[in-house]
Amino acid sequence: MTELTLAGVAKRYDGTAALEGIDLTVRDGEFFTLVGPSGCGKTTTLRTIAGFESPTAGTVRFDGRAMDGVPPEDRDVGVVFQSYALFPHMSVAENVGYGLRFREPPDGQTVDERVRELLALVDLEGMGERDPDQLSGGQRQRVALARALAPAPDLLLLDEPMSALDAQLRESLRRQVKRIQSELEITTVYVTHDQAEALAISDRVAVMNGGRIEQVGRPQAIYREPATRFVAEFVGDNNVFEGAVRERDGDRTRIDVGGETLAVSAASVPPGADRVTVCVRPGALSRSAGTNRLPVTVETSEFLGETVRVHGRWNGTEMILQLPEIPDDDELTVGFEPDDAHVVATD
Amino acid sequence: MPASDRRGLRNALVTLRSRLERRALSLVALATAAVLAVMLYLPVGVVFLEAVLEAGRPTLAHFRAVLTDPFYVGALADILAEPLAVRTHLEGVAGWLGAVSVSATVVRPIPGLELPVPWLALETPGVRLGLFGFTAYQAALSTVASVALGLPAASVLATYEFRGRQTIRSLTILPFVLPGIMVAVGFYAMFGRGGTLNGLLGLIGLGPYPFIEWNPLAIVIVAHAFYNAPLVARVTVAAWESVDRRAVETARSLGASPRRAFRDAVVPQLLPAVLTGALLTFIFTFMTFPIVLALGGLQLATVEVWIYDRVRQLAYGEAATLAVLETLLSLGLTYAYLRYESAQSGLARAAGSTARRPLFPDLRTALSPRRLAIVGYGLVALVVFVGPMASLVVGSVTDGSGLTGRHYAFLLERQLEGASYQTLPWVAIRNSLLFGVATLAVAVPMGVVISVVTARAGRAGAVVDALAMLPLAVSGVVFGVGLLRGLVFGVSLPGGWRFQVTGAVAIVAAHAVAAYPFVTRNVSPLLANLDPAMVESARALGASRYRALRDVELPLVASGIVAGAAFAFAISIGEFSSTVILAGSGDTYTMPVAVERYLGRRSGPAIAMGTVLLFVTAASFVVVDRVGGRFER
Repeated sequence: MTELTLAGVAKRYDGTAALEGIDLTVRDGEFFTLVGPSGCGKTTTLRTIAGFESPTAGTVRFDGRAMDGVPPEDRDVGVVFQSYALFPHMSVAENVGYGLRFREPPDGQTVDERVRELLALVDLEGMGERDPDQLSGGQRQRVALARALAPAPDLLLLDEPMSALDAQLRESLRRQVKRIQSELEITTVYVTHDQAEALAISDRVAVMNGGRIEQVGRPQAIYREPATRFVAEFVGDNNVFEGAVRERDGDRTRIDVGGETLAVSAASVPPGADRVTVCVRPGALSRSAGTNRLPVTVETSEFLGETVRVHGRWNGTEMILQLPEIPDDDELTVGFEPDDAHVVATD
Repeated sequence: MPASDRRGLRNALVTLRSRLERRALSLVALATAAVLAVMLYLPVGVVFLEAVLEAGRPTLAHFRAVLTDPFYVGALADILAEPLAVRTHLEGVAGWLGAVSVSATVVRPIPGLELPVPWLALETPGVRLGLFGFTAYQAALSTVASVALGLPAASVLATYEFRGRQTIRSLTILPFVLPGIMVAVGFYAMFGRGGTLNGLLGLIGLGPYPFIEWNPLAIVIVAHAFYNAPLVARVTVAAWESVDRRAVETARSLGASPRRAFRDAVVPQLLPAVLTGALLTFIFTFMTFPIVLALGGLQLATVEVWIYDRVRQLAYGEAATLAVLETLLSLGLTYAYLRYESAQSGLARAAGSTARRPLFPDLRTALSPRRLAIVGYGLVALVVFVGPMASLVVGSVTDGSGLTGRHYAFLLERQLEGASYQTLPWVAIRNSLLFGVATLAVAVPMGVVISVVTARAGRAGAVVDALAMLPLAVSGVVFGVGLLRGLVFGVSLPGGWRFQVTGAVAIVAAHAVAAYPFVTRNVSPLLANLDPAMVESARALGASRYRALRDVELPLVASGIVAGAAFAFAISIGEFSSTVILAGSGDTYTMPVAVERYLGRRSGPAIAMGTVLLFVTAASFVVVDRVGGRFER
């Protein structure tokens, strides 16, 4: 079992920085997710860990061993790609067994035994003789997972493995991947642009943006206490108001937002911050009450089944509300309690 | 041996093997680079040096001599001799324009037949073209003829559905690999004094006419069209089929008539392809050699033929200077072509290609003017493309009076009784096959490695690609001269050593260098289409770069390799230009060289030998087709 560390890992292509000094520790047996918009450097980070890219600066370590100059074939990592990358000229069993041409199967198993075990692990018993093009997308991705796991790698790297699948399949495969990962207790790095997927599946999450890590933490911490405005807006829906710290009154602090005043919990305001961003989740806004009352002009309503998502505008700022019913008026007032607001320093 | 020792030895062997595997790709790449350096760049470099050295000193005298000689550059000689005398030159041009006259006359285009045709004659005072001017002139005429003959074929293949459409479309690649000397003999067998055309005319009491002597240039141009019209048709059909049907449908829905939609949505996507075909045709026909040599001889000499003649006269300095000038021109044209091709490569790929109509749905439609025109064109195409090949076969078993076996009997007799200094048919066939197989063994690994190196190397890959594609822009004769002067005569090395490559080895090297670009051109697109994640998956699973290539990439591009191999073999079988120089008067001659040698004395045996060549070439394509090759790109 393996602990992965990245120390100051940077990557430049033709003078443009793809990664700027990534520091990261993925603990032994942890399910760790890199999430961020496209171009944020998450895939480059994964490819650097796998050895497909060599970092311009910094070091990748597996259990303290520096991986500088070690080619991918000598790193003992299993990689699963979005495109599955199955070998179309080999059967499913040959695909799964390919890595066993170069590494002995674990626990004294024969190659056949190992292939059968892995196919059973991903619920594809008896499919070994098929060709990859006879399988559905979800099945192909499970073959790719079995292939990556067959040589019992130290590290499992998954690069957007679900992105080519439809939403329902994605959820069931996600649960399966998580189950297999906890069964094998294999250190796993998962790359996705889907923040909901990241929250659902991970032990810890790193949110990346512009080649840097914005925040690392458990999913709950990332969701409830985003460290930056970017994280607040990227992870889940959020209403964000930029303003200036005005005065402190007991356990309340007043924030001036474009001429209007919002009251937030004093403890939530970063000490010494002058310009701040107030974040309020749509679910925290209700029509009934609240210390802060905001008159909102409704622009569109989307019926989602359980709830209705309303887009509107308050004080010139875009708002997202989550209401039980479609509002019958274009003007409505919502409120929130100071304790429901999260405040980050504006950078 | 104790078990532990054995295990130790086995481990050592495994380690050694895996080390070798890790380096395998680099080793083959190095070997390829070495072959290219010695067999391509050294000979070309020798030619360049020879052109700019006089008794070991750098000089431009050779170039000055050529560029100011009206024999070479025609009317440009004065201008190049005194480029600053602008006034004199302008006066010359004005005087020429003043002498141009247009007159309406009646001409009788078919000799011996009273068939008056009104003709608008443009009379211009003659301009001395010179060797280069004439070469460009015949290339331009050939290009016009090829486009004129190729475009109707493209339009029929792209818009109509009929039996054999796919076969004909595939066959358009065939002329490209037919040996030039064989095609020349085919035209000779068709248009010659005793040829099939005169035979047919004789049936109705006409002729015989000396077609080739009347207008050798016209025959040469038709022969060039035989080669290049299919090329024009091919690139145009490919572009036509990749036009998205929805673009036309969108235009129609926006109010365009069918004709207008064709003009606005289809033509702009065809033009680049037509221009590409025309440019390639011009390049190829500018460097034409065996066709002109066999059909025109020295009175129709192009640059290439003249270089060959200079080499035969041992005037190497002059040959080298001409070779350099020709290579610079063709490199410039090739560069223009590549720039143009890469500028066009962004065009959309077909999502839904245009639907084709049946060619002859019913009798009424079959008699419409458009269908009749297509039938007429088909007859012309039949004469131009099938005629020479059929004439070749027919000519090999007939003479002026009827069926005969004496042409083949001559070959057999020559084989059985010929002296060793004579050209023996079996030796030629054996050499051709041997060189073909040896060429495969060298050219296929070279071509594949260059594809692999350039496939994902970005900008560096583009440079390697350009350097490796040089053979396409260096003519066979130039290359042959370089090999002769550089490798066959030998190069002095420091320390009194001499580096020398002769005979069969030199010929195989020449063939391999001419052939590997076709392997690369067939393999590279397939390789570039592979998901890079497949190689990365293999590597993450423990495969070295070489193993990933062997286990994953090569099996998936096998069809391209087989097609490339077919081209390589056909190129080797048909290669004439450098082989005729390297074989000299020795016994390393091949079938095309034998054809040319026979042609100099009697046409019958040459035609018979050409027929043998035709069958060997066709057989090699059939074999490859059975093995599973595809001629589609």
